[in-house]
Amino acid sequence: MTLRQTEKPTVRRAGHSWSDVALTVWGVLVFIFLFAPIAVIIVSSFNSGRLLVAWDGFSIAPFLAIVAKPAVQSAVLVSIQTGLIAAVFATLLGTLAGIAMARHPGKWVYWFLGLLLLVSVTPEIVDAVALLPWLVFLGQDLGLTMFGNGIVRLVVGHSLFAIAVVSYIVRARLVGMDAQLEEASGDLYAKPLTTFRRVTLPLAMPAVLAGFLLSFTLSLDNTVIAAFVQVSGTTPWPVYVFSALRSGLRPEIAAVSTLMLLLTLVALAAVALVLKRAGDSATQIARTLGGG
Amino acid sequence: MSESRTHVRILASDGAARVIRSELTRRGFLGLAVAAGGAAVLAACSPGGGASPGAQATGGAVEDSLTIYTWGDYDAPELLEEFTSSVGPTITLDSFSSNEELISKLVAAKGTSGYDIVVPTGVFIPQMIENGLLSKLNLDLIPNIEHMDDAYLGRAWDPSNEYSICKAWGTTGFVYDKTVITRELTTWADFLDAAQNEASGKTSVLDDPGDLTGIYFWANGIDWNTDDEAELAACEEYLVTSLAPHLSAFDSYPGGSAIPQGTQVLMQSWNGDARLGILESPDPDRWQWVLGGPDTEIWMDNWAIAAGAPHPEAAHAFINFILAPENALVELDYIGYHTGAKDIEQAAADEGLPMLDFVFFTPEQVETMHEGEVNEAQERRVEIWNATKAAAGA
Amino acid sequence: MRRSPGFALAIPAWVWLALFFVAPVGMVVWFSFGYKPGIFGTHANDVLSLDRYAEALSPTFFSTFQNTLWVGIAGTTLCLLIGMPVAYWMAVKVRPERRGILIALVLVPFWTNFLVRTIGWQVLLAPEGWVSTLLQAVGVTQGPLEILYTRTAVLIGVVYNYLPLMILPLFVAFDRVGGPLREASKDLGAGRWTTFFRVTLPLAGPGVVAGVLLVFIPLMGDYITATVLGGAKGNMVGQLVASQFQAAQNWALGSAMAVLLILVITATIAVGAAIVWLILLPIRRRNRLVLGDAPPPSDPPAAAERELQGVGA
Repeated sequence: MTLRQTEKPTVRRAGHSWSDVALTVWGVLVFIFLFAPIAVIIVSSFNSGRLLVAWDGFSIAPFLAIVAKPAVQSAVLVSIQTGLIAAVFATLLGTLAGIAMARHPGKWVYWFLGLLLLVSVTPEIVDAVALLPWLVFLGQDLGLTMFGNGIVRLVVGHSLFAIAVVSYIVRARLVGMDAQLEEASGDLYAKPLTTFRRVTLPLAMPAVLAGFLLSFTLSLDNTVIAAFVQVSGTTPWPVYVFSALRSGLRPEIAAVSTLMLLLTLVALAAVALVLKRAGDSATQIARTLGGG
Repeated sequence: MSESRTHVRILASDGAARVIRSELTRRGFLGLAVAAGGAAVLAACSPGGGASPGAQATGGAVEDSLTIYTWGDYDAPELLEEFTSSVGPTITLDSFSSNEELISKLVAAKGTSGYDIVVPTGVFIPQMIENGLLSKLNLDLIPNIEHMDDAYLGRAWDPSNEYSICKAWGTTGFVYDKTVITRELTTWADFLDAAQNEASGKTSVLDDPGDLTGIYFWANGIDWNTDDEAELAACEEYLVTSLAPHLSAFDSYPGGSAIPQGTQVLMQSWNGDARLGILESPDPDRWQWVLGGPDTEIWMDNWAIAAGAPHPEAAHAFINFILAPENALVELDYIGYHTGAKDIEQAAADEGLPMLDFVFFTPEQVETMHEGEVNEAQERRVEIWNATKAAAGA
Repeated sequence: MRRSPGFALAIPAWVWLALFFVAPVGMVVWFSFGYKPGIFGTHANDVLSLDRYAEALSPTFFSTFQNTLWVGIAGTTLCLLIGMPVAYWMAVKVRPERRGILIALVLVPFWTNFLVRTIGWQVLLAPEGWVSTLLQAVGVTQGPLEILYTRTAVLIGVVYNYLPLMILPLFVAFDRVGGPLREASKDLGAGRWTTFFRVTLPLAGPGVVAGVLLVFIPLMGDYITATVLGGAKGNMVGQLVASQFQAAQNWALGSAMAVLLILVITATIAVGAAIVWLILLPIRRRNRLVLGDAPPPSDPPAAAERELQGVGA
C-alpha cells in the first residue's frame, strides 16, 4: 500500500498549531467522557454493600459472590461466545455486501440499501416478537434442529443489525476510492479472486476491523431480541442484568462487568501480540488498523 | 419375533420385587411399552392448547437436572446449592424480565420450551391455564404446603392451588422524604395531594398500568379492576391533566436507585423494594414508608410447573424443598419479601432481620390488599398509562 | 466496462436478511391488519382491516413522536458535533501506531452492559454524586445538581450510547481521504479550514452519512436510556410499541404502531436528505470541475456514484 501513503516526514514541525492542541484536548476530554461511568462501575465492583448504587465500604466480596452463582458465570460465557460468533458472521456477510455495493453498483444497490435501512429502523421488540415464532417454526415444524440450539438462535438475532452496520461502514470506505488499483491489478494479469484477496480486501481492512469490533460490541448489548429467542440454558448476560433489576442490582453485576472488560482487553492485547510475533512490526499493524 | 431365552435380571427391594414379579410378564411388558410409546406419540402430536395437562409427576425417581425460568437473582444461592447436594438434580436458571415475555416464550414453544419450573405473577395465571401453558401440581409430592399460611393459598387466580403455590408476595405503598414533606401522609389521596404540591416535579410512580390507575381508584374508593368506561375516563382525565405535569419519572424500582441517591421526594413503590432502598440509603431516617390506604394491591409470584416439563419429579422435589420452614426464612432474608409461610414472623424477628414492618402486616392490613386482574379493562388501562406518560413528557 | 456479477458477493447477506428479517417482519406487517381476539389472545388475522392504524394515529402517538423526533435530531446533531473532531483527530493527527489502540479504546466502554453503564451515569449525576460535589466545590452550581430526569440527562445518555456508532464510520472515512490530498491542497495555498471544508469533508461524505444514519435510525426506536436517565422527559415512541406487545398483549395494535414508526422515520430521513441536497446544491455547483468541452455522457453507474459522492445520500 505504499503507492497511496507517503511516509510522514520525520522532521518534527517546530511547535504545534493551536488547532492541533485544541483537537488533542477535545479528544482527551471525549475519552474521559466515555470512561467516566466505567470508572464508577469499576469502583462499585468493590462495594461491600447490598446495592450497586449505594457505597458501603471496600471489599472484594462481590468478586467472590460470582463464584457462588453458576447462573452468572453461564450468562457471561454465553454472551462472549455468541458475541464472537455473531461478529465473525456479520463481518463476513457485511464485508461482502459492502464491497459489492461499492464496487459493483447498479439498481440493486438501492433495493439493498433500502433493506438495510429497514433493518435499522425496525424497533427491536418488533424483531423479537417476529423472530421467535419464526425460529420455532423453522426448528420444530420444518425440523431444522439447529434452530433449536440456543447459540444459533442468539447469533441469528444479533447478526441482523450488525450486518447492516458493517455493510454501511465498508461501503463508505470503498465508495469513491478509485477502482484504479483493482484495475491495475487486473492489468497485471491477476485473477478476480486474487485481486479481491490482495487488493480490495486490504483496502477495506480498517472498515472490516472496525465493523468486527462494532458487531461484537452490539452483540454484547443486545437485550430484547436475545430475551425472546433464547432457549433454556442459554440466558445471555444482558438478559440476566435486566431481569435482576427487580431484585435490586448487587455489586457483583459491577464486578462481572469489570471482569468482562479485563477479559476483552487481555484478548485484544493477546491478538496484537500474536500479530506482532507473526512478523508485522507495530507500525504495520497499526497502519492496517489505521488505514495504511 | 424370534424367541431368545435370555433372562432379564432385575435388582430390586423385597417389596418392589413382589410387585414386579406379579405385574411384569413379557406380554405385560410389551403392552406397557406400547401404551407408553403410544401415549408419548399422542402427547407429542397434541396441539398443546386448550387442554390442561394432568399432573405428570407420580413420586418416581428424581431426575438429575432441573430448569427454572424465573426473575433474576430471585433465590438464595445457598439454597440452590443445598438442593443439588442433598436431593441431586443440577439446577439451570434462566431469566426473564416480564411476565409477557414468559408467556410469549411458552406459547411459541408449544410445550417444548425445556423449562420445568416457571415463576409467573398471579394475575397472569388464569391466562396461562386457559392456554394450556401450565401443568397441574401433584400436591401429594409437596407435603410442605402445610407450612404455608392459608391466607396466601387459594387466591383468586388459582383457588385450589392446582397449578401454583405462592413464592413471594408484596404490596404497594409509597415513600416520602420527611425533610421536604413535613406533614404526615397516610392515604393515596394524600399521595396525590403531595405530588401536586410539595413534591411537584420530584414524584415518581410505578411503571405499570395497573399500579398507576390504581392510585386514582384507591383514592376514590373504586374497585381498581373496574371496566366501567365512565370510571376509566374519569381516571384518565385526572391522571393526564392533574397528576402528569408533576411527575418526573415512571420508575418501578426506586429502591434500587432513587431512594439511595435521593433523587426524588415522593415515590410509589413496592414494600420490599422500599425496604431495600431505605436500608441501603446513607440517611435512612429521612424516608418514611406508608402502606397505601384505604385500599391497595397484593401481588404474588408463584411457583408453577410448565406444561411439557421434562423433569416433573425434580420440579416437585424442588418446590417441596423450598417450602420447608427453615428454607423459607433463608429465602425471605435473601429477597426481602414474605414467602407466604406460616409463623415466619417470629423466626425472622429472632434472626434479627431488620425493618420487618415492611414485610409483615396485620390481618386487617392484609384485608385492604386486593388482587389485580387482567381483564377487558387492561387495554384501556394501558392507553391511560401511555397518555399519562405522553403528558408527563411534554 | 465491467459486467462481472460482482453483486453476487452480496447474495449471502441478501439471503440471510431475507430469511431472518424480511420474513419475520413481513409477519408483523401481516399482524397489523388483524385484531386482538379477547383478553387472553394476542393476535388474530381472520378479519383484515386498517382499524389498528386508525387507532394508532392517536394524539398520544403524535405527542410522543414529537418528543422522540426532538431527541433524535438533537442527539444525532450532538453526536456529530462531538464525534467529528475526535474522528478527525484520530484519523489525521494521531501517530499511526496509536490509532489502533484508540479505536479499541473508543469501544471499550461499550463492552460493559448497557444498563450497567447507564446506571453508572445515574450515580455520577446524582444530586449527592461525584459530579455534583465537584461542580459545587468549583462554584459552577449553587445547590445540588438537578440534572437527572431532565431533557439534558436524556441527551447525555443518548449521545453517550451512540457516540461510537458515529466516531467509527467518521474515522474510517477521514482516514480514507489520505495525507497526500490534504498536503496537495495546502501546497496550492489553501489554509487549514479551507482544506477541511473543501477537500476532507466532501470526500468523507459517505462516512458522515453512514454515521448520521447509524445513529439517528436506531435512536428513534430506542427508549431505555432515555427513560432511565430522563424519567418522564424521556418518553419515546419505542416505548409505546413495546407497551402494546407487552403490557397490553395487543400485537395487532403494536404492529400497526411499529409500521407507522418505520414509515415516519423513513419519511423524516427522506425530508432530511432533501434538505441537505438543497443546501449542498450551490456548493456542488461551485465545486464541479469542468475541463475544456462539456464532459461526455458517462455510463449510469459512474454518474450515480459521483452523485452519491457529492451528496452522500
